[in-house]
Amino acid sequence: MVVLMNKMSKNEPKNKDVGNPKDTSTVQDDITHDAIYVRDLVKKYDDFQALSGLNLTVKKGEIYGLLGPNGAGKTTAVKIFCGLVKKTSGFAKVLGKEVPSEDIRPLIGYMPQETAIYQDLTVHENIELFGRLYNLDMNTILKREKELLDFISLSKWRDSAVWTLSGGMKHRVSLACAMIHSPELLILDEPTVGVDPQLRAIFWDYFKKIVSKGKTILITTHYMDEAFNCTRVGLMRLGKLIAEGTPEEIVSKTNTRNLEDAFLKLAKEVEVWEE
Amino acid sequence: MGRMNRMRVGAYRAFSISTKVFRTLRHDKRTLALMLVAPLVMMSIFSLAFAGEVEHVKVVVVNLDKGITFPNDTHLSISDSIISHLDKEKLEITFEKSISKGEEEVKEGRAWGVIIFPENFTYAVLQNVQMKGNSSNSSNSSNHTDSANSTLTIKVDNSNTNIGNTIYKEVSDAVLDALKDTGRDMPLEIDTSKPIYGKNNRFIDSFAPGIITFMIWLLTTLLTLLAFVGERTSGTLDRLLASPIKEWEIVLGYAFAFGIMGCVQSGLLITFGVIVFGISIVGNVILAFFVAVLLALVSVNLGILLSSAAKNEAQAVQFIPMIIAPAFLLAGIFWPIEAIPELIRPVSYIIPPTYAVEAMRSVMVRGWGLDKIWKDLLILSFFAILLLIGSVQSLKRRRA
Repeated sequence: MVVLMNKMSKNEPKNKDVGNPKDTSTVQDDITHDAIYVRDLVKKYDDFQALSGLNLTVKKGEIYGLLGPNGAGKTTAVKIFCGLVKKTSGFAKVLGKEVPSEDIRPLIGYMPQETAIYQDLTVHENIELFGRLYNLDMNTILKREKELLDFISLSKWRDSAVWTLSGGMKHRVSLACAMIHSPELLILDEPTVGVDPQLRAIFWDYFKKIVSKGKTILITTHYMDEAFNCTRVGLMRLGKLIAEGTPEEIVSKTNTRNLEDAFLKLAKEVEVWEE
Repeated sequence: MGRMNRMRVGAYRAFSISTKVFRTLRHDKRTLALMLVAPLVMMSIFSLAFAGEVEHVKVVVVNLDKGITFPNDTHLSISDSIISHLDKEKLEITFEKSISKGEEEVKEGRAWGVIIFPENFTYAVLQNVQMKGNSSNSSNSSNHTDSANSTLTIKVDNSNTNIGNTIYKEVSDAVLDALKDTGRDMPLEIDTSKPIYGKNNRFIDSFAPGIITFMIWLLTTLLTLLAFVGERTSGTLDRLLASPIKEWEIVLGYAFAFGIMGCVQSGLLITFGVIVFGISIVGNVILAFFVAVLLALVSVNLGILLSSAAKNEAQAVQFIPMIIAPAFLLAGIFWPIEAIPELIRPVSYIIPPTYAVEAMRSVMVRGWGLDKIWKDLLILSFFAILLLIGSVQSLKRRRA
């Protein structure tokens, strides 16, 4: 089912109390099955509104693609889920706990948009550090590391300093660091930037393998063509979703050929509606 | 999870941060060199250049005094005696015949001072000594009864007060020595040969504790500041904060690593100072290390706290004068706090290096123990805890 968010809010008046944690019992059943459950999420910076009432549900065991142009609010949303940014208002539950929560940190793997690994350390030292932060013992770290290095095809570079690697390689190391502790929920902010098409395909295969084991992945990207690999996608614009559904649904519903065209069409519709 | 287990996990994570800091240093040879070699270079430069011992100061002596010849043909010239007692290492003496020529040398910048002995100086001095012994108000009458002048005039180029003071002191010392040589009883004597602390101390001995303090303060604060601004801008801090690690574990992990580095730095500086510059350490070296570690902890937390106010490395660099200037000027490292105008002296008492250098100097030069420097250590600990709380809070603000 494709839900066009603005239309939904027009047709069925939103239950304002949904954002109140006291009333979450009514949606409790949904939440236990949802990796991420977000209602009316608002984030205001001093003079800029990054999120203006985001509604979003990521089901357990799916790859959810959060799509949208730069500045749509994808990274802000992701940072709120990871407990790095305080929400201004609204309601956000991740893995059954309202964020920010200490309890869910060990269950999330986060790969920021920036490469965000230590340039002076070797690939192994980076992976080991993040393994230790998640309280893994050395044996587990080494076992997981071998697996991950095979996946990102960097086994040969295990003991090279990160700064000697290319941009794409660094990105892969960053991904490995986010996955070292086999997290329940993997949040990847633009993971495929600077990754060549061949490796990108390998990435997606691996992501599908992970979710087949019951894990959940939230990916942000502004490459619309990649989104066909996602179980479901949400199109974001100006801090809220304008559409949500499987890629095929969105394309067919909008009568377009691809997600990019679908997005442009939807964005135009929203503008008309707003006027 | 039990309390013990939580602490074990916390320590494990904090230690992994320390390991990270050490590994970074191992790979980043330039920073490692900065931490280990720069203090030694600084110590050498300061010790050699700033050694405080003013030497080879050019002075002109104009001696118009002829001395006196006693009936038994013995000749006495107090001026010659004074000149012979001048320390030739410190003062480089040339002679001029007239006062105007002597002054000319100073005016033209060829000498730092002119020392003038008037005519009949010896005679006037002897007469003064005798008269003073006989009558209580003789000083006036002696000048009246005789035109002889016992005033030794020193005219210096006081554009460098350090040099001016050296000339004054050297001449005064020589005068006292010369008078002793005349064999007459001096009405009083000053004995400075038995200091309570710092016997045979040279400038470098009292300077070494200062340089150790300064280098640890500067390098630790600077490197944590830059490291943390790097953590913030590269996204690694976000990544750390998205993990289960607690803010204080990050801070303690850094503090532990830099505390050890502080120990290594002081060890190197002390060893280097003893071997190369022959500095003497009277007190307990372990206690000196302890002061160094405490200061490193203060500096680490200050660095982290400051990093929260900097958006990037360029902004962080702007903090450097703020780190250097107060410590350099006001902490009593290069000149005593007593020499700092009273108006700004309160600032000296609110900056940590003041207490670190005081404690370090007390241990190394005075040989004081814990029983005497505990106050300084207490205040340093207070700073460390205060800044620790501040830096943990600054990280908590970063997390949602």
